[in-house]
Amino acid sequence: MKVVTGVVGNDVHVVANRLIDISLDERGFEVFNLGVNTYLEEFMDAVIETDADVLLISSLNGEAEGWCRDLSLMKKQYDFSDVVFMIGGNLGVGEMNADELDSKYKAYGFDLVFHQVDLNIGLDTLENFLKEHA
Amino acid sequence: MSLLQREREIIVQNEYIDRFDFAEVEEFIKNASKNLFISHKFKTSTEMLVQPRGGFPTYDKVHELYKEFKGSNVDVLPLTIDSNTRLNDYAHAKKMLALSEENDVDMLNGYPLVNHGYRTTRKMITHYDTPVSLRHGTPDARLLVEIALASGIFEIEGGPITYLLPYSKNFPLDKAFLYWKYVERVTAKYSELNEPINRESFGPLSATMQPPAIVLVIQLLEMLLSLEEGVKSFSVSFSQTGSMTQDIVSSNVLRKLARKYADQFGHSDATINLVYHQWMGAFPYNKSYSDSLINTSTVIAAMVGADKIITKTRNEAFGIPTKEANALAVANVKYTLNMLKGLPKISDAEEEENLTNMVDEILEAVFNDSADTLWRKVFNSIKKGYIDIPFSPHIINANEVITVRDSESNIRIYKKGSLPISEKSFAYERSKIKLAEGERVVDKIIQDIGIML
Repeated sequence: MKVVTGVVGNDVHVVANRLIDISLDERGFEVFNLGVNTYLEEFMDAVIETDADVLLISSLNGEAEGWCRDLSLMKKQYDFSDVVFMIGGNLGVGEMNADELDSKYKAYGFDLVFHQVDLNIGLDTLENFLKEHA
Repeated sequence: MSLLQREREIIVQNEYIDRFDFAEVEEFIKNASKNLFISHKFKTSTEMLVQPRGGFPTYDKVHELYKEFKGSNVDVLPLTIDSNTRLNDYAHAKKMLALSEENDVDMLNGYPLVNHGYRTTRKMITHYDTPVSLRHGTPDARLLVEIALASGIFEIEGGPITYLLPYSKNFPLDKAFLYWKYVERVTAKYSELNEPINRESFGPLSATMQPPAIVLVIQLLEMLLSLEEGVKSFSVSFSQTGSMTQDIVSSNVLRKLARKYADQFGHSDATINLVYHQWMGAFPYNKSYSDSLINTSTVIAAMVGADKIITKTRNEAFGIPTKEANALAVANVKYTLNMLKGLPKISDAEEEENLTNMVDEILEAVFNDSADTLWRKVFNSIKKGYIDIPFSPHIINANEVITVRDSESNIRIYKKGSLPISEKSFAYERSKIKLAEGERVVDKIIQDIGIML
């Protein structure tokens, strides 16, 4: 399984990105880590170039929404039907309601949304999701 | 017209700002209230200054935030800038500012100062008549700093190393150096008009397992680069390491070496201040634990005799705090500090000797670089990996140094990469590290990063 990952927008928080990379690798995924400060267009290009199964976007600074609002538009430009779109981290500026964020990001086109959820729980959920949709 | 002034005229020709009036700004700074200068506050205050972090997208919310802080008797106000402005993406900042204003939702993690402009922002700053510190993370801060100074913000955080290697993926090193030289020069120039403008380095770096030797080397180098351009008031800083001993040792060595090197380089007229950042790593989700962490770090700040403390809040794990929570944190820190006056000095001679040796060894290698200026020596040293910041996102950072915690939580150098430290110093570091039988270093690092969770 191939995963493209990185931190969206003008966010440079690198620590969790490194940990995500290591954790995905340990779980046997082939990881394409675009690192911090990556724009949505670059993620989509990388998914196409690597023929990835999963796009795992992370965000810490809370600004992800401003960068991901156009995801559904971009998904229409190419056949991404077999790609799982996942986002996790701090998904809002300030203290937010996780359920509200969940439905908001799903409306933008994400399959899996994790606001302030432990990394391993998020990755367990991803693996189960992939099994169910295999 | 000087070369610098010509460059400044070009920098302020920007589609996102209003006309910039240099003569008016100079007049404003010349006649500005002394209360706006933190350098003046450092001189006249006998107590540790307390400064929170904070910034919201809209003018009104920052105004409200400052009002709340003043209610907590804050000493220094912060102005934290959003991530887009930090990377000179004023177009995105503008769009998100408009969305924040229309929908009453914060779409930015700070205040887009360039888009707001200095005429508006200055009204707020002069209204509160309190020193404001510019907190950002900008490799090219030329326009931002022009606007900050014109707004009455007389403390500028950052530097060519500390706002590049921890804050950017691929911003060119040579450009960042030139752009920060500009910032130092503008700051120095305005410092002649009234009280000095204070420059502050950013010691926390990537805030993850930073070895004190590297932190101190970078603090001292940024200090020297800044003083060389004519800055007269400078703050060196570092953040809580997770070990009280290491914090105290770092502080003692940093204070001693900052004065020593400043004098040695002919800057005995410069004032050097020490700033302590409360824990900058990942915070616990349990807010009672956060309270305990914050209180402990306030105690440490008092023990190290910091001139200023920069605070965190119990909401840290959850995102940017509300103005109420943030102001409460300031009040609590001030309350705790009130119990901590006249503490005895403590030290650990062996640890101080080892840290001093490592810092001197790295600095010696930097100074011995064959380049003709300090700026170029530092530039080369980063490329050679003499300066290597663990967990930097930047492509030019060597990323060879690996650190782990010893049994007393001190951060130790496990792999030295290209750090020019002696075998003796490195052996001392290694002698403190005890890995359990079969323990993998990567698991140890993950555990050590999350020490406060």
